[in-house]
Amino acid sequence: MIFDWSVVWQHRDALVAGTATTILLTVATMAIAVPCGIAVAILRMYGVAPVRAAATAYVELFRNLPLILVVFWAFYVLPILTGLGLSPLATGLAALVLNVTAYNAETFRAGINSIRRGQVEAAMALGMSRAQALRRVVVPQAVRRILPVLASTWVSLFKDTSLVSVIAVSELSYAAMQVRAQTFRVLEMLTAMAAIYWLLGYPQAKLTDWIQRRYAVSE
Amino acid sequence: MSGETATRTKSGGATIIGYRSVVKRFGNFVALDGVSLEVHAGEVVCLIGPSGSGKSTLLRCTNGLEALDGGDIAFEGASLPREERALRAVRRRMGMVFQSFELFPHLTARENVAEGPRTVLRESRAESDRRADALLDKVGLADKAGNYPSALSGGQQQRVAIARALAMEPDVMLFDEPTSALDPETIGEVLNVMKKLADEGMTMVVVTHEMTFARRVGDWIAVFDAGRIVEQGPPAQIFDAPTTERTRDFLSHLGWQG
Repeated sequence: MIFDWSVVWQHRDALVAGTATTILLTVATMAIAVPCGIAVAILRMYGVAPVRAAATAYVELFRNLPLILVVFWAFYVLPILTGLGLSPLATGLAALVLNVTAYNAETFRAGINSIRRGQVEAAMALGMSRAQALRRVVVPQAVRRILPVLASTWVSLFKDTSLVSVIAVSELSYAAMQVRAQTFRVLEMLTAMAAIYWLLGYPQAKLTDWIQRRYAVSE
Repeated sequence: MSGETATRTKSGGATIIGYRSVVKRFGNFVALDGVSLEVHAGEVVCLIGPSGSGKSTLLRCTNGLEALDGGDIAFEGASLPREERALRAVRRRMGMVFQSFELFPHLTARENVAEGPRTVLRESRAESDRRADALLDKVGLADKAGNYPSALSGGQQQRVAIARALAMEPDVMLFDEPTSALDPETIGEVLNVMKKLADEGMTMVVVTHEMTFARRVGDWIAVFDAGRIVEQGPPAQIFDAPTTERTRDFLSHLGWQG
């Protein structure tokens, strides 16, 4: 078998554009799913009973569905539900946000629960309200404690964005597969794709390790 | 057997906290079974007795961390409010020091002390930092202002916690076994700070197992057993001439020699 690596260089524009979309999807998903995750966690912990039940149902549903199913679901069902003609990119983003928000909510809930009750009492003894105690004392500590978990969610998400290629979002894997379909250069394109994912993912994984060391909680 | 068995000889002034027949239950367990006690301005009232006898529960009811199931607690003549906002206003006038310090681990010593004034009283950063530095100096930790709690010894952490409570300029300080979690060699530095506060005229309610401190610094001692005050009076009575068997038993178990 003869390899022709020039195909990778020839289609560099498509690969660069795909890589940019992959990064955009990762950043946008996290930017939405972190505040939403905090909100869902707080609703699940402190909301009135029906709100709590709804938040719990949401988390348990989306945490236990395969992401690719959610992607297809968003593609076929979301337009019917919302009446909007969403672009593939917006649809893919919605699916990723639904999935990652559920995970982040659980992460935040665990983080908030891990803070001793005495910390809230100490804050309230100073005259703080529950909301102030949460904002000034509990959440800052919880965020530090779960930063390593968020970082690994980020690394997983970066790779999982490839799943939205099934609804023709032209992120990295979709772009690479398109080139493959045009040129029949399967091994070259898969290798190029692997190299790009790895080169971008490896520093993120290392950064995660560093964050875990840097923010290890000492009491 | 219970109640006021002696008149107050050294009573500072007006009643600041009045406990009247206070009852607190946890499920079927009766933690406080009709406790009555008065705390006067400028007094150090020490709550002593075996573990689980209700001392800490009474302290936690005082600033509303636990709600009452019966009776009444009056702070400066008014019953503790039930409404959250009003209760918070009362709480900020009572400083509380916990057995396990409960410093905020993500903040430095200075930030810990400044946190209350900054968040609750909306003081500026400069103002609350100045206040924090002055208080850290007062508890002998001026050089540790930039340290995180994890870099402080237990005794130092508890002194920061005292400074944090003082930052709200409370009328009363509540101490919940402040030295029970400390290494023996650091207990003294915390007790010294407390003694200094008492000498300055701070009204204090202290749950403690440090009998020497209670004897020397306390103005009024209440002995707890099974959710009741079995005897209360000035230290001379409690430690030198206890009138109840319960008090004698408790003190002899601690090896108190008078």
